Amino acid sequence: MSFITGKQLNRRSLLRGAGAAIALPLLDAMRPALAAPARIAGQARRVAVVYVPNGIVMKDWKPAEAVDTFAFSRILKPLEPFRQDITLLSGLSNQVANKAKGGAHAKATGSFLSGAEPKYTAGADVQSGVTFDQIAAQKLLSQTRVASLQLGCEDARMVGNCDTGSSCAYTNTLSWRDAQTPLAVEVNPRSVFERLFGTIDPSLSPDVRARRALYRKSILDDTRDNTQKLLGSLGPEDRRKMDEYLTGIRETEKRIAAAEKDPLTPPSEKPSGIPFDYADYVKLMFDLQVIAFQSDLTRVSTMMLGREGSVRTYPEIGVPDPHHPLTHHRGHPDFIEKVTKINCFHVELFSKFVEKLKATPDGDGSLLDHSAILYGCALSDGNAHSNQDLPLLVAGHAGGIRGGRYVASPEKTPVANLFLQLLNGVGVEMEKFADSTGTLNLRS
Amino acid sequence: MPRFFVSCVLFSLCTAISADTPEVFSFIQKNCAACHNPTVKSGDVDLKTLQHVKTFDEDRSIWEKVVEKLKTGEMPPPGAPKPPRDSILTVTKWIESEFSRHDRAAKPDAGRVTAHRLNRTEYNNTIRDLLGIDDRPADSFPADTAAYGFDNISDALNLTPALLENYVDAAERSVRTALFGPELRKPAAVHYSAPVRINLTRGQTGLPKDIFNYDFTGLSTVHSAHFIHRFPVDAEYNFRVVLNGHRPNQSEPVHPALFIDGKQIKEWEVDATDLEGQIVDHRMQVSAGEHLLSTSYLNAYSGLPPSYNGPDPSKRPPAALIETRGKLSEKDIETLRKYGTRIKTDGIDTRVDNRFESLDVGGPFNQTTAASPESLKRVYVCGHASGKHNDSCVRPILKNFVTRAFRKPATNAEVEQFARFAALARKQGDTFEEGIATALQAVLVAPQFLYRIERDQPAVAGSTVAPLTDYELASRLSYFLWSSMPDAELLRVAGQGTLRQFRVLEAQVKRMLRDAKSFALVENFAGQWLQFKNIDVVRPDPGKFPMFEDNLRLSMRRETELFIDSIIKKDSSTLDLLDANYTFLNERLARFYGIEGVKGPAFRRVDMTGAQRGGGILAQASVLTISSYSTRTSPVLRGKWILENLLNAPPPPPPPGVPPLEETKQGSGTLRQQMEQHRKNPACSSCHSRMDPLGFGLENFNAVGAWRTEDGQAKVDATGTLPDGRTFQSPAELRGLLKGDRDAFVQGLTEKLLIYALGRGLERSDRPTLASIAEKLPAENYRFSKLVMGVVTSLPFQNRRPSAPGQVAATMKERSK
Repeated sequence: MSFITGKQLNRRSLLRGAGAAIALPLLDAMRPALAAPARIAGQARRVAVVYVPNGIVMKDWKPAEAVDTFAFSRILKPLEPFRQDITLLSGLSNQVANKAKGGAHAKATGSFLSGAEPKYTAGADVQSGVTFDQIAAQKLLSQTRVASLQLGCEDARMVGNCDTGSSCAYTNTLSWRDAQTPLAVEVNPRSVFERLFGTIDPSLSPDVRARRALYRKSILDDTRDNTQKLLGSLGPEDRRKMDEYLTGIRETEKRIAAAEKDPLTPPSEKPSGIPFDYADYVKLMFDLQVIAFQSDLTRVSTMMLGREGSVRTYPEIGVPDPHHPLTHHRGHPDFIEKVTKINCFHVELFSKFVEKLKATPDGDGSLLDHSAILYGCALSDGNAHSNQDLPLLVAGHAGGIRGGRYVASPEKTPVANLFLQLLNGVGVEMEKFADSTGTLNLRS
Repeated sequence: MPRFFVSCVLFSLCTAISADTPEVFSFIQKNCAACHNPTVKSGDVDLKTLQHVKTFDEDRSIWEKVVEKLKTGEMPPPGAPKPPRDSILTVTKWIESEFSRHDRAAKPDAGRVTAHRLNRTEYNNTIRDLLGIDDRPADSFPADTAAYGFDNISDALNLTPALLENYVDAAERSVRTALFGPELRKPAAVHYSAPVRINLTRGQTGLPKDIFNYDFTGLSTVHSAHFIHRFPVDAEYNFRVVLNGHRPNQSEPVHPALFIDGKQIKEWEVDATDLEGQIVDHRMQVSAGEHLLSTSYLNAYSGLPPSYNGPDPSKRPPAALIETRGKLSEKDIETLRKYGTRIKTDGIDTRVDNRFESLDVGGPFNQTTAASPESLKRVYVCGHASGKHNDSCVRPILKNFVTRAFRKPATNAEVEQFARFAALARKQGDTFEEGIATALQAVLVAPQFLYRIERDQPAVAGSTVAPLTDYELASRLSYFLWSSMPDAELLRVAGQGTLRQFRVLEAQVKRMLRDAKSFALVENFAGQWLQFKNIDVVRPDPGKFPMFEDNLRLSMRRETELFIDSIIKKDSSTLDLLDANYTFLNERLARFYGIEGVKGPAFRRVDMTGAQRGGGILAQASVLTISSYSTRTSPVLRGKWILENLLNAPPPPPPPGVPPLEETKQGSGTLRQQMEQHRKNPACSSCHSRMDPLGFGLENFNAVGAWRTEDGQAKVDATGTLPDGRTFQSPAELRGLLKGDRDAFVQGLTEKLLIYALGRGLERSDRPTLASIAEKLPAENYRFSKLVMGVVTSLPFQNRRPSAPGQVAATMKERSK
C-alpha cells in the first residue's frame, strides 16, 4: 500500500487482507487532504517509538565492528539503503529493570521509557512513571489536535496477570501518561483513523453538520457544569474518578474548538478493520502514523509490533512456533534461527516505514529529516532476560541528529541519556530524566 | 557476620517463650528458625519476629505465609527433616482459628466500591437493553484494564480523553440508530481466507476408513471453513465462495454449500476437476449481529471413483485418454472439464483435496434504514406516530428514559436538565424527534449513566456499615448477573423497597439466573476466571495439529460455555467443574474426543460415564489447549493453571535472578526427566514440586486436548506425587484428589465470584464474609444459586463503608437541596 508515496497502489495486497475495504482503494481519496497546513511546513519535529517484543538475537543484530562504516548485520540488512539516516546504538542499559521485582518482561517494558520502577502487582494499583514520549506529548499538546498516538499490532485483551504476578499494564502498554495511568494501545486501524479525523459523517450537508456540532458542544458544556455540581457530594475516591471524567470532557471540548478553527477535510473512506495478514496490518498502522505526521495531527507516537511476552506465531515466514517460548532457546541453534527470522521480519517491516517517511516531503526536506524514530526492544538477549546493551537504533534527523553513525556508549550507560536527547530534539529542554547521567550526543 | 550470628542466638534465648504460648512457637523454633532467622533470612523471611500472641495482628502477613507453606508442603523444603503430619495439622489449625477469631472480632467493614465506569461489555449490553439495538458500539473502544483477573474492577476502570470521545460518538450513533434507523452504509467487502489444511489423503490410494463417519453436511470435515462475521445492519449481503483443490478424475460433481449459524442456506453444483479459483456467489438478506458462516462440501466422500472405495461411488466412465495432438474438439474439452484426464492423473488421482480458498462477504445492499419498532417503543412512551408527537410528551419520554439510564427514578431537576436540549434543537428548527435525540445523547454522556455511582449513606446508629439504597442494590445485582442494567421488573421491586427481603431477593436472583442474559456470567465471569476465552486467540502449530481448525476451536469454546451455562441454569453443583459425568458435544468435538453416536453440528448433552477422558473442566479441550504451548504441552503451565484457578493457591513468582523454568526439547531424556533435573535446584523446587506433578497428571491430553497414550516415541506417564505425599496414576485419579480438595476449590471460587460481584479487590475485612459463604455450601450441595445468594446477601454486597462524618453531612446537604 503505497498511497502516500504516490506509487502504484498494489491492489492485490489490499484485496488479500481481511477487513480491508474493497470498494475503493482505501486511502487514495485522501490525498488532497494530506497537504500539511502551510504555517508549520517543515517546522514540526516528531518523535516516535517502534517497539518489538521478547528481545533480539544479538549476534545477528550487532555489526562486527563498532565503527560508523559498520557492515549491516543480518537483522539490520533491510535498513542498509538508509545508512545515512540511521544511528545505531550500543551500550545503553536499563538498570532500573534490573533492580525491580516482578516478571522479567513486565519490569523491562514497564520501566523502559520511563526509567521508573514498576510496582510489583497484578492488581489495580499499578504504578510506574511518566514515559518520555508523554513528556514530549504534554509539551506539544497545544500544537496538534491529538496529543499522541499509542498503537499496537496485537490485541492485548488478555485476562489474568501477564507475567508471573505482574500486571498486563506493564507488558501490554508502552506509554504512561503519569505514574498511575498506562495508555492502552489502539489496535484497530479504523479507530485510529477516527481518532485522527473524527467521526462526523462527511456525507451530511454542512448545516446539519453544524447543528450537530452545536448540540455536541452544548451537551459537553452542560455536562461539565452538572458534573461539577455533583462533585461536592462525593467521597474522595469518587471525586478522583469524576476529575478524570471532567478532564476527558475538557480535552474533548478543546479538540472540537481546535477542529473548528482549522477544519480538515476527512478522507472519505476509512479502514474497515484489522487486516488479516500481519504484514498488511503493520504496514497499515505505520501508514496511519505517516498520515498523522504529515498532516501534523500529532507529533508523538508509540507502537508495539507485539505485546511484550508475545506468543504470536509467524507461519508466513516459516515460524509456526510461538515467539516467547522460542526466545528461551537455551542455546539451541534451531530455536535461535527462528527468533532471528522473526527479528529480521520486524526490521523489514520497519524499513518500509522509514522508506515512506523519507519519501514524504515536509518543508525543505522529508518527514524523516524532521522525525526521530526509535526502534528496538527493552530486552537484549531474551533467553537471559538481559537489560544490558539494549538493541536500539534511531532513524531520522529531528533535532539535528546526524545519522550514518554507530554510537557506542560505555557499558551500563543509562538508556535515559538517549531519551533526554530525543526530548531535546523536539524542543523539551530538560536537565535530567529518570536515572540519566547526561545527554547522549547524536548530533556530532 | 559470625559475631552477629552469636548475638542473635543470644537474643532468642533471652526472649524466652512464656508458658502459656501455644505449641506453634516451639514448632517454628524447631522446624523453621534454622533458616528463617535475622541472619540467614532465607527467602527474605525472618520468623524470629514471631514472638507473641499479642502481636498476632501485626505479624499477620508472615503468619499467612507460614500457613500457606505448611499446608502446601513446600516447607520445610526437601532435604530438611519433615515434622510429623499431626503436628503440622495442629499448628495450621491453631493459626487458622486465630485468623478467623481476629477477623470476626474486627468491626464489620463493607468496603467502598469506587464510582464504577461501565466496561466495554457492560456498555454494549446496557445500550442493547436501553435502546433495543445490538450494535456493540464499545467493541471499538480502547481495551479496559483488568485487575485481580477481571475487567470489571472499578479502581482499574479509568477514563482517558480518547475514551470520552468514544462515548460522545457512540451516544450520537446509538441514539440515531434507535430513533431514525441505522445509517446508510456503503457496501464494502470483508475477506476471510480459509486456513491452509494438510491434505489428509495425499499419497494414499484409498480413503482412511473412519472418514466415512461424517454427516452429510460436511461441516465437521477438514474440507469445511468457518468464520464468525458481524453484520453491521439488517440488509442483503453477497457471499462469494472461492474454491480450491481438485476432485479426482471421474468423480461426480462437487456440491459446495453455504451455512449460516449451522443452517444450510445454499447448495451449488460445480462440475470441474480443477477447483482452484472456481467462484460461486449467493446474495441474501441477513439480520444484523454476529453470525457463524460456514462453507462445506456436501457428501464430500460420495461420488468418488470406485477405486476410492468410498460410499456411493461415482458412475462416471473411467477417465478418458484423449488421443489428439491437434486442436481439441468441443467434446474433448467438455470431457476434460468433467472427467479429468490422464494428464492430471499424477498425484491428483490419489487425493481428495477439494477445499475452500476464501469467503468474501460483500454488503450491505438494499439496507433497511428504518428504526426498529422495538427501539421506538422503548423511547416513545406516548406512542409513536411519526411527526404527530405532542410537545407535552417530552417530559414523560425523558422521565422514563432517564430513570432507566440512571437506574433510579429521575428527579424533576434531571428531567428539566435534559428537556433543555430538546428545546434547543426545536429552536434551531429541528424536528421533535431530533430534539428527543439530542436530549437522549446528553443522557448517554452524563456521569450518572457512564458510571455506577453509589452515594454515601449515613451509618445506622451503632453500626460501622451503611446499607445501599434498593436501587443501588438492584444495579449491583443486574451488573453482577447480567453485565447490564436492571430490567423493568427489578426496578419495580427496588421501588417497592422490598429487595432486601430474603425471599424477594431470592426470587429475583432465581429469575435472573434463568434469564438468557445470565449467559453474561459464563462469558465474563467464567471466561475470565478459567481463561477459556483465550481459545479464540491460540494458534496451535498446524504442522503438528492439522486437525485443529476453526470449527473445532469454536466447538471447544462452545462445550465449555454450555457446560457452565448448564450449571447456572440447572442450578447444579459447582463441584461439577472438578468432575462431572456429562458434557456438551457436537459431532466435530465428539469425533475429536473419540465419543461415538453424536451426529450433526448441533450440541447436545452427552453422558460421559465410562469415557476414558472423563468429565469436568480438566477434561475439556478448551482449557487443555489454552494451558499449552502451540507446539507441545507444558506441565508447568497446566499445573500453574490448576493451582491458580482450581485450588486457590497461585504459585509465587520465581525468586529474583532465577529465570522461569522453561522446558526445552534439548538435552537428553524425556521432558519429565529434564524437569525433574531442573527441580533439583532448591530455588525452583518449592514451587515446581507443586506445579509440575499436577501438570503431568494431564499428560494424557496433548497440546490441543486430544487423548493420547504416547508422546512421540515414549509412552505417556501421567503419574505423580503431590508435595503432601498423595499419589495418582491417571488423570481420573488426579481429578479424584482434586475433589478431595473441594474446600480449597470452593474458597477460591467464592473469592473470585465476590471480586467479580463487587468489582473490587478483597481486603482482610472480607475474610469473615468469604468464610461464611463457603461454609454454608456443603449443606446446599454446592449449588450455584446458593453460592450466588451467599454473595448477594453478604455484608459487602449490600452495604458500604460510610464516609467520614463531614462528608456525610455534605452529602445530606446536597440531597436536601
